[in-house]
Amino acid sequence: MKNHSLLAVITVLLALSLLPGCGYNAMQANEEAVKAAWGDVESAYQRRADLVPNLVETVKAYAKHERETLAAVTEARSKAGSITMTKAMLDDPQALAKFQEAQGALSSSLSRLLVVVEKYPDLKANQGFQDLQHQLEGTENRINVARSRYNKAVETFNTSIRIFPNNLTNSMLLHLKLKEPFKADEGAATAPKVKFQ
Amino acid sequence: MHKRQSGAGWKWSTAAVLAVAAVLGLFSGPTESFGLDVPRLSGRVNDYGGMISPPVRATLEAELASLESTDSTQVVVLTVPSLEGDVIEEFSIRVGDAWKIGQQGKDNGVIFIVSKADRKMRIEVGRGLQGVLTDLIAGRIIDRVIKPRFKQNQFDDGFLEGTRAIIAATRGEYKPAPKATTYISPHRYFEAVLVAVFLVLPFLRRINRFLPIPAGAAGGPLLHFLFTGGAASGATLGILAAVGAVVGLFVAGIGSGGSIGRRHGHHGTGGGFWGPFGGSSGSGGTGAGGIDFGGGGGSFDGGGSSGDW
Repeated sequence: MKNHSLLAVITVLLALSLLPGCGYNAMQANEEAVKAAWGDVESAYQRRADLVPNLVETVKAYAKHERETLAAVTEARSKAGSITMTKAMLDDPQALAKFQEAQGALSSSLSRLLVVVEKYPDLKANQGFQDLQHQLEGTENRINVARSRYNKAVETFNTSIRIFPNNLTNSMLLHLKLKEPFKADEGAATAPKVKFQ
Repeated sequence: MHKRQSGAGWKWSTAAVLAVAAVLGLFSGPTESFGLDVPRLSGRVNDYGGMISPPVRATLEAELASLESTDSTQVVVLTVPSLEGDVIEEFSIRVGDAWKIGQQGKDNGVIFIVSKADRKMRIEVGRGLQGVLTDLIAGRIIDRVIKPRFKQNQFDDGFLEGTRAIIAATRGEYKPAPKATTYISPHRYFEAVLVAVFLVLPFLRRINRFLPIPAGAAGGPLLHFLFTGGAASGATLGILAAVGAVVGLFVAGIGSGGSIGRRHGHHGTGGGFWGPFGGSSGSGGTGAGGIDFGGGGGSFDGGGSSGDW
């Protein structure tokens, strides 16, 4: 008899301890973390886009013959700027693929520009250009950091909606969808490494 | 019979499981701990690369501790012997995440990381300081303050002046020096003065007893011109010429009476002459500043600048 009541108490306690374990709050918190991480990704890319016109102008002054390369950068920038990706679109693999492709095109046009620049020692010695290189290098690194943090947040979130019993809670109540991580691409793993001197 | 077989089977399966586990362990090990381990935070100056002399380390500790007490800004220095193939930007963000330099919510931390063998450095700046210590200013500090000194193996000087420039920048006070074409360390200047006074002038005295006097008068401004890139007013050059002439006079006087006392006098003047360049260890002695030091919970987003030498 005594044993039975003890068992009952333990069962009730166990059931109570499992209640917060349904993951209702945790999953939503994880989704918010993904959105916050996306905000950092967006602002890092925006920062780079803001630098580009200045960079193009500076290079133009020294390297007049590189019109094609410069035009490619400008075009890639406006294309990347035209693709908006809201936080509501984070579970859409195609939207992210398009976004990533456009930003990747800007990355590679920028690296081509920096290769071309090697031919112009006057430009490389120019203070304004060196300053821009520092800024560009800083934003590329921020993009890398923001992307890897976003991917980490996505991984945590995706795991949290897949595991038991969260998957039941999600399918019954929340209906959250898996988020899309960045795929490693030529532009991401080794972002255009700005080489100094 | 049956028992023995099942026993052998069990042994085999155990061996197989162990082998698989070992292989998995072998392959998962390196992927899990990819990159260089973040060293322990042992103070404000973490010289694992052995690049900073003890007096300079003490000075830096004291200056950085006083910065935190007035501004709450945390700046730490880390040197490592090698990155072991890691990328400095990736290593430094991991250090930032682990050490949490800067105050929580303010994110006002800076980590100055140097890898000795790779000859690479990075100034990692917390978000709260990126308005004053921008990527650009961090880059200029590397290019103009630290790199030229490191290139000449003046590591103490590079860490000292580099850290001071970082501190000034966090207060919004860093004024980039005009781009120096060549940097010649104070130590070189000091050496050149020694060579001039103790070798060149006595040699000239052998040719003509009074030759050291005009040679000193010409040499004072000339040395200054050579070692500071000519940035001096006419008055300074005049004073340097006078000092040079006096030194020359002393050298000319030496030997007539074997006057060691006068040599000492000359040495004294000399001390005044190169005094401003010598003492850099300053207010050290409080190396204990790092003992209960820890990161304040700041975070990093990859801002800052990298460079090499």
